[in-house]
Amino acid sequence: MKLAQIFSVRKSLTYLLILSMIYAAHSIYFKVKYWGFSFSPKEVTDIWTVDAKISFDAVDDKTRVILSVPSQNSRFNILSEEVVANGYRITQDREKNRVVFDGKGKKGRQNMYYRLSLYKDAKPNVVRDVPQKLERPILEEEEKMQMTKIWELAQLQEGDKVQKAIKVVNQEMANPSMSLVLPLKHTAKEFAEKLIQILAYKRIPARIARAVKLEEGKKTEKPGIMIEAYVDDSWKLYDLNTAKIGLPNNWIVFQRGGVSLLDVRGGENSKVMFSVLKSVATPMKMAEHRAKSNQALSQYKYSIYTLPVLEQNTLKWLMIFPLAILVVVILRNVIGVTTMGTFTPMLLAMSLVKTGFVEGLICFSIMIFLGLVMRAVVAKLNLLLVPRISFVVIFVILLIQLLTIVGYRLDSGLVSSAIFFPIIITAWIIERASITWEEEGARNTIKEILNTLLTAVVTYFVISNETVRHVMFAFNELNVVIMFIVMLLGTYTGYRLTEITRFAPLVNKD
Amino acid sequence: MLNWFKTVKALKEKGVLGMNDRNYSVIAKYNDRSLYTLVDDKVKTKQLANNINISTPKMIGIIEHQYEVKNLVKIVEGYKTFVIKPAHGSGGKGVLVIKDFDGEKFYSASGEVLTFKQVYQHVSNTLSGLFSLGGRYDVALIEETVNFSDVFKNFSYHGIPDVRVIVYKGFPAMVMMRLATKESDGKANLHQGGVGVGLDVKTGETLKAVLHNKPVTIHPDTGANLMDLKVPFWREHLLIGALAYDMTGLGYLGADIVLDKNRGPMMLEINARPGLAIQIANGLGLKTRLEEIDKHYPLGLSAEERVDFVLNN
Repeated sequence: MKLAQIFSVRKSLTYLLILSMIYAAHSIYFKVKYWGFSFSPKEVTDIWTVDAKISFDAVDDKTRVILSVPSQNSRFNILSEEVVANGYRITQDREKNRVVFDGKGKKGRQNMYYRLSLYKDAKPNVVRDVPQKLERPILEEEEKMQMTKIWELAQLQEGDKVQKAIKVVNQEMANPSMSLVLPLKHTAKEFAEKLIQILAYKRIPARIARAVKLEEGKKTEKPGIMIEAYVDDSWKLYDLNTAKIGLPNNWIVFQRGGVSLLDVRGGENSKVMFSVLKSVATPMKMAEHRAKSNQALSQYKYSIYTLPVLEQNTLKWLMIFPLAILVVVILRNVIGVTTMGTFTPMLLAMSLVKTGFVEGLICFSIMIFLGLVMRAVVAKLNLLLVPRISFVVIFVILLIQLLTIVGYRLDSGLVSSAIFFPIIITAWIIERASITWEEEGARNTIKEILNTLLTAVVTYFVISNETVRHVMFAFNELNVVIMFIVMLLGTYTGYRLTEITRFAPLVNKD
Repeated sequence: MLNWFKTVKALKEKGVLGMNDRNYSVIAKYNDRSLYTLVDDKVKTKQLANNINISTPKMIGIIEHQYEVKNLVKIVEGYKTFVIKPAHGSGGKGVLVIKDFDGEKFYSASGEVLTFKQVYQHVSNTLSGLFSLGGRYDVALIEETVNFSDVFKNFSYHGIPDVRVIVYKGFPAMVMMRLATKESDGKANLHQGGVGVGLDVKTGETLKAVLHNKPVTIHPDTGANLMDLKVPFWREHLLIGALAYDMTGLGYLGADIVLDKNRGPMMLEINARPGLAIQIANGLGLKTRLEEIDKHYPLGLSAEERVDFVLNN
């Protein structure tokens, strides 16, 4: 009580509650942002697997294959990389984002695979490399005139400089005066290369980007070509047809810059075939990778999500308890339901989760009924307390055994769920019910049992909810908040809901 | 819903004390846990009461161990009538009233004829904790029966009427009388169908009577007019309550008092967590009463002075 005089208990608890809420909010934000946790248990992360199959005919004794691969710096995070090439020495060049295969004495058709698994990250990464300052290229007079003309026309277009250039080239292509710039029949690559020249005239650094669309079951030999230009101090991707800025959704850049996507030395008829597959994983499974790529691994290591599965499952089960306790506290101290034992309804609800709702209730009723009948018979023997309650415990165990056997033989889950009920709790409910029966009559006993069951059912519906369980486990810091809510409820001095009815005669005119 | 808010507002205005408020603002504040042992053990309470001249039913003897149970007949030698009760019992559990003992057969108040073996079993059960809170080992207390005053003869059906005084900081705050009915089966607990009669703390006269939370004016079984009830020796009743505070130090307590034909008001037991039904019986809010005592009642008075203060204000 001394402490209470110095600080107002309610005020201190309110501050602590607010602090815990701020902590939880921050922690939840962190988990969502850096670990990719989600509030929905059904949420999944798409995992894209891109298979690049390289094939060529070996002609020389020494063969070298260089494949450009995506860098970390894209909108996707790399989950895993796998290279399969029999008899080849494989070097992964992280800096240049390429894989090098070296082979000796190979003959005939060669096949090699590069497999990449990717998932989308919560926050997009930015390409950070800064290009060298571009000098204006030295051009012949004719070319110079062309460039001036193009840029003159470009002024009439909308968008930034790059977009203007793309639009002009697209529109003027049919114009015969343009044929010198770009032949009517041209590849996307030629288009892009010309565009790089045009941009270079205005000293805008640009490069080709090859991108693959992530689409379930997609197979292609030709990755899409885009142009990436350095505008306003950052690299931006542009669509060659529409001049739209940015990588479309679900595209991944495989290669950027002047080097080719696939470079084969000592071989011919080379080609690379991309195929895309999609699979899913829960965000929790992906959390470690996300944490690693977001430099948040140390926090992750000390979370419960890195524990062995068995421990995790136990904790997942425990994490739901505080919420169940909160429900019981509210039902008892705010609503004013009187139950048998403080946490008996909560434990009952826990059993119901394991047995299934209807099965559990029926089975529980059978056990309580038979237990009460047996207890009434034994009451006549005037046994002492400890042996008497011990008898009830053993009787309940025998009953569970019997119900389980009967349930198994009848192939009915209805009765065999008995095995999940806490024996001691069941025995105490029977004992308490029979004492209440003797002292306060059947009506009060049934009322008390029903109250207990009702509380258990309410608790059950809260804790059996898939989303609730997921949230309480994924965002376990909420338990700290619940702790302070429960403590704050310990200072609640208002009327219980049932008291309003009880005391109503005091204020109502009859 | 709107009605509920109205009721809550009205209850607050009337100063009705709720269970949470009682536990948090009154019991946790004024009843130190260490004092509970003084009232949980009836033998201890009785000794304390006798030390400061509060009259209680006279103790005949106690049985503490199983091997002493066989001495029962020797203990009650010379008594035709006595009561066996568990020292740690509550709410009248395990109380056996023997109306007549002829040296062989025991005739209980509820009309049963018991052999020594049956009584032996009852005492044995008491010792093993059958009737005590939490089932812990207990002591059987044997005391003289109360010769109930005829004053209340018509007001109670078969059972024992008692007066419950709520004492706050030593001042009798609210009083009610509990009467047994046919329905309550000799017991006087209100939730079991007993009649609660709110008494004016200054006079001991009926303010209001309730049965099952509803106002009544006549006893459902005896037909007695409850409005005519007036408790004699009123000052003595209140004094027992006030002394109970001195004796236990409990800031909020309920003293149960019965009226003996020969010895006057006697204290049966003290409750450290008295219930709130007394408000319904009185038609008054207890919180209002407690606040009145907090604000206007002087500190440092003796028990006698406190009772006089209550009677004269």
